[in-house]
Amino acid sequence: MNFPHSELAAQWITLLAAGMLVIQMLMVVQGMLLTNIRLFALQSLMLAAIAAIIAFFHNAPHVYWVAGLTIVGKVFFLPWLLNRQVRRMQIHQEIEPLFNSTASMVLCGAFTLLGYIVARPFTSLERLGNNTLGIAITLLLTGFFLMFNRRKAITQVLALLTVENGVMLAAVALTTYGMPLVVELGIFFDVMVAVMVLGILVYRIRETFASMDVNKLSQLKG
Amino acid sequence: MTLLVPILLVPAVAGLLCLLARSRRVMELANVLAFGGTVVLGVQLLHEVLARPDHVVTECGDFFRADALSAWMVLLISVVSLGTSLYAGNYFRRDLADGALKPGQVKEFFVLTPLFSAGMFLVVLADNLGVMWFALEATALSSVLLVALYNRSTSLEAAWKYIILGSLGLALALFGTVLTYAAAIGKTSTTLPSFSWAHLISVAGQLDHRMIKLAFVFVLVGYGTKAGLAPMHTWLPDAHSEAPTPTSAMLSGVSLKVALYALLRFHILTAACLGTSFSRTMLLVFGLGSMCLAAPFILVQTNLKRMLAYSSLEHVGLICAGIGLNSPLTIFGALLHMGYHALTKPVLFFAAGNIHQTCHTLQMRLIGPGMATMLPMTVVCMGLAAVAATGLPPFGLFFSEMTVLNGGFAAGHTVVSLVVLVALLAAFCGILYQLVRILLGTPKIKRSTNAAVRGGVPAMGFMLAVLLIFSLWLPAPLLEVMQRAAGIIGGRQ
Repeated sequence: MNFPHSELAAQWITLLAAGMLVIQMLMVVQGMLLTNIRLFALQSLMLAAIAAIIAFFHNAPHVYWVAGLTIVGKVFFLPWLLNRQVRRMQIHQEIEPLFNSTASMVLCGAFTLLGYIVARPFTSLERLGNNTLGIAITLLLTGFFLMFNRRKAITQVLALLTVENGVMLAAVALTTYGMPLVVELGIFFDVMVAVMVLGILVYRIRETFASMDVNKLSQLKG
Repeated sequence: MTLLVPILLVPAVAGLLCLLARSRRVMELANVLAFGGTVVLGVQLLHEVLARPDHVVTECGDFFRADALSAWMVLLISVVSLGTSLYAGNYFRRDLADGALKPGQVKEFFVLTPLFSAGMFLVVLADNLGVMWFALEATALSSVLLVALYNRSTSLEAAWKYIILGSLGLALALFGTVLTYAAAIGKTSTTLPSFSWAHLISVAGQLDHRMIKLAFVFVLVGYGTKAGLAPMHTWLPDAHSEAPTPTSAMLSGVSLKVALYALLRFHILTAACLGTSFSRTMLLVFGLGSMCLAAPFILVQTNLKRMLAYSSLEHVGLICAGIGLNSPLTIFGALLHMGYHALTKPVLFFAAGNIHQTCHTLQMRLIGPGMATMLPMTVVCMGLAAVAATGLPPFGLFFSEMTVLNGGFAAGHTVVSLVVLVALLAAFCGILYQLVRILLGTPKIKRSTNAAVRGGVPAMGFMLAVLLIFSLWLPAPLLEVMQRAAGIIGGRQ
């Protein structure tokens, strides 16, 4: 590709994508709910930075929109919303995972390996950075792991959001310019509404069960 | 004349108007009128699609696009929504009288249901695969609050499972959509590749093969979750049994099929790119899996609406298998089955709703034998719908199932067709056995006849009448649209 400074851009993107992966791993081992929310905000900030770099180096102004929306929505609004919910409901802070942190870390290492193996045939198709597709798939897999490892409603929402971050990373990495603006806007509003709907449900579950433990949601069987 | 925009706007506006409305009658009327309007518009769209030389209607600079397959889906969505809105008024009046719901919650239903339908219309009318994705997500978000409407602990559990599994599935589908988009880079004249389905299909041969293959796997698992295919179906019986009955009817009648429609769009694209064998085999495997899993669960169910939900799983499996068999006859049969099932299943749910409100339970053991003496009209409707749903003549599902089986045997897929036949027979026995036990016989449990719920018969009668008419007589335009839709799925444009 004959873009100016495209080598520099690629290095920054690779670095930031790796940063997203590291943060994901920190979330896997971190036991405090509020810290987890902050980590998610940081991860989203890196995603926004990747989008901004692409917009700057590749002269794609509409990608600035993506960066801006990510900052407004995922760095500020959603973490604020989740934070408020955690404080208002006085949720017990610690997350009680199924696997302890060592076992989780080993498993997530395996997921990373798997992500890279799946992405390997496609590395030639990546247009930006190195191994970004591998990282995106890893974010997807570890997001799933987070979801079933943690049995609290809010942590499941967070896990879902990291999966979404992974998908957006793939969108940016594979397509250079991100997706058309109408699609990006649609996805943005869907994610916002989804978290609000989930928030309503979490609140009602809390009211009804006097707990956020999803293990209590086990009356329906067969 | 514009057609597609009004189809989207009418329910959306009706939903927003209900937000302002104060009286429940106004909300009921707005719902019925809106869906009546979309039925009329849907019929017009059908004629318009057939009248065009290329059989495609586009609007807003190709942003909205309707071909025969979309027109067919629009008809299904609008007819089921109309039937549901006819039933809903009566149903909620009784719930309010019983104190099961507050007026605010009823309002929530009348606001969200038209929005739910508008989302489904957008799924089938959008040409852009990204727009299709977020429309599908919007349907999930509007219906999850409907599933949680009663605010019981069980309905919250069902809603939570539904939204978490649904969102995960949709995230995977988005990943698949992104991969599809990426596969088109450099294959088109413009710098930004197009998300337009019509455009992608025209360059299908040049798309990156490995990427499309990977994309289809993600989309299949993703949209397959929303369509309730086994083994991603676990949210389905919960959501269907815990939702208020009109919502169960919508979820089962059309929402599953709309997700299947999204999957089919990718199937068509993948088949055009890689040849049919890959995606068709995957559809066949998931379809047969769903059928084989559903049949035993129908037999052991103790909850009436859960049993009906598993029956929906079985029908979706059959539709999927029919398309997976990929002969012109089986695809046609599958489309026909979509339509007839959409007309039949809501009637079963409506009747189950009446029984629920009469007995205040869905446990078949507690409902007990002899519902026929208690609720004669409801039981007649339910019996007819059950006869239809299990595939007995003279109802259409008999013909559509026979078409699929016939096509399967004729195309030489003997083993697959035999599996389908066995699964259908098992479900047939299961549903009739279970229903006969609660509907017929002498009542063992004493209930006062005052408690009997008599409403909802017009809605059930409407759906059954439509079913019977179209079972015996398919008008030429409808037949042609289905043949064209089958042609699109089979790759013969």
